[in-house]
Amino acid sequence: MMFLRIVARSFNRRRPRIAVAVIAVLMGASMTSGLLTVSTGIEDKLAKEFRRFGSNILVIPRSDTIELGFPGISFGSVSEQRYIDESDLWKIKKIDEWSANVLGFAPMLYQVVQVEHEGNVQRAVLTGTYFDRAFPDLTKAGEIWSTGIKKIASYWNVEGNWIEDDDNGSVLAGVSVAEKLKLKLGDSIYVSYENPETKSTTTEQLSVAGTVSTGGSEDSQLFVPLSVAQRISGRLGKVHSVQVSALCVECPAELIGAEIEKKLPYTQAKTVKQLVRAEEMIMDQLGQMMLLITVVALVASGTTVTTTMMTTVMERRREIGLMKSIGAENSTIASIFLAEAVIVGVTGGFLGYGLGNVLAQHIAESVFSAPITPLLTILPVTVGISLSVAVLASTLPVRRAIRIDPAIVLRGE
Amino acid sequence: MMMGKPKIILKSVTKYYDAYTCALSNIDLTISEGEWVSIIGPSGSGKTTLLNMMSGLDTPTSGTININGTDLTGLGQKMLAKFRRENVGLIFQQHHLIPYLDALENVMTAQYFHGKVDREIAREALERMGLGQRLKHRPAQLSGGEQQRVCIARALINDPEIILADEPTGNLDMKNGEIVMGIIKQLVDEGRTLVIVTHNMDIAKQGRRTIQLVDGKISTDSSRQTHNPLETSVGRKANSPPTSTGSARR
Repeated sequence: MMFLRIVARSFNRRRPRIAVAVIAVLMGASMTSGLLTVSTGIEDKLAKEFRRFGSNILVIPRSDTIELGFPGISFGSVSEQRYIDESDLWKIKKIDEWSANVLGFAPMLYQVVQVEHEGNVQRAVLTGTYFDRAFPDLTKAGEIWSTGIKKIASYWNVEGNWIEDDDNGSVLAGVSVAEKLKLKLGDSIYVSYENPETKSTTTEQLSVAGTVSTGGSEDSQLFVPLSVAQRISGRLGKVHSVQVSALCVECPAELIGAEIEKKLPYTQAKTVKQLVRAEEMIMDQLGQMMLLITVVALVASGTTVTTTMMTTVMERRREIGLMKSIGAENSTIASIFLAEAVIVGVTGGFLGYGLGNVLAQHIAESVFSAPITPLLTILPVTVGISLSVAVLASTLPVRRAIRIDPAIVLRGE
Repeated sequence: MMMGKPKIILKSVTKYYDAYTCALSNIDLTISEGEWVSIIGPSGSGKTTLLNMMSGLDTPTSGTININGTDLTGLGQKMLAKFRRENVGLIFQQHHLIPYLDALENVMTAQYFHGKVDREIAREALERMGLGQRLKHRPAQLSGGEQQRVCIARALINDPEIILADEPTGNLDMKNGEIVMGIIKQLVDEGRTLVIVTHNMDIAKQGRRTIQLVDGKISTDSSRQTHNPLETSVGRKANSPPTSTGSARR
């Protein structure tokens, strides 16, 4: 009790100086808390942002390549056209180690078709895919996992309606095709496909359910459910490739790709390296920058605490000398100052956590245009770091305090 | 003439602050239990240094110091602190109270360092010093005499056998000086050993032994019969409990 009374009374008397120390710790703590909140929240957010731009793994069938040319002179190569069986696609979600990180996939089956609308004829790529295909019993019991382009490519800007996977009569038209053919929602188009082997032509009438704009090659394609594309091209149960969207904050996409190859041995999984590398690089740089700022802030606050505590020790040297002269041990003197450091550290830590969240919100909204959720798990980390900084910063002043010679300070020197 | 068993024994104590500053030179001194010894001398003669040696606040460059049966030579800081809180009560000229604690808390601080805080005993100690109405006053709200009485209460609260006082009335007016000296006399009457540093010859003469220091050496050591506590009381350890500062008696 007496110990607490000494500490409390001393605190009360030196409020302005204590306030300086608390503010110093608070600044460091708010940087720690703010940047931890931002980095944790933004890493997730950034990963999702990247995911918004589509898949990061492309699965294609392995194929044998035949070199063409004369001896010593290559004219290029041809590859045998192979497909991935649609019936194997579920295995992508059932890889061994990283299955939880497979957010979704979309198979792709392409063919060049002739499109006719009100007398206008254009050639375009007709792509069959999943839009939001449900896979019952693929994950936990009772949960239906669904996947498709709608899930992995949320950056698609669709006007009108998406297509259901069992809708056999609708098409989603890329904006370039729609513009060339002057398509409006609800218009009917005729899609013709000539089989190169049999020379037979299949024609289907499809209704434009919506248009899609991505700024990429999708703008000049037509999208239909995979089953429709398979029927038109006569490639039942086949797909050319599969785009996989994997969450890669903590795992390398290469590992997920390797696991997919293990499950589908006749395929090769290529990571979209540029995208993944950019993602990793930005996150690395973000993390390094935040670490640097936090370290600088903590060093600055530690220095301020040291200076403040050192001044306090000098101001209180007679009091310290007096305490020693009436029997206080060095450990008691040290514990009085360390208790003050603990209070400064904890108070600064708690206040810094609050301020850090405000800071994090500001950064998130101004830089990433999105709010960020305060994380309670960061509170003990922030308080712990603040406490350590305050106690560590007090080491030198405490050493100075216990070295005070009572005989010297009491005679006024 | 020695009275009772030796309480403070200094043998060949020399203190150099640096190569050129000799504060004490070859001091041999024995002070007995219950004795009042006044130390006088000009400024810089080594009076306070000698007192600091006896309290363990300072250590000699050479020689040995034995206080109350404890050889202070070679004791570490921790043991010296323990020795101080258990054996000596210090009274300073400048009072030296902790400014942010009130009178009661200042006295309780000494109890705290001693390991046993008892608010009631601290209160009684201050009441016996005539400060019953000033318990909650901080040093800045007390007069010099009142501050010195708080300092004495604090010095006595752990019941030390030796009182070391450095100019206890040096900063007080005559009236307060007399009050403080009245209390100090009672301490000796109770059988405590008192060593008092003073410039005031009237105070020095109240003790039965006066030591004069000049340039760190004892120039005179005179005994007189003006005050002999062992003649008026058989000695505090063998006597009935004291009355005036009984606050510290437990």
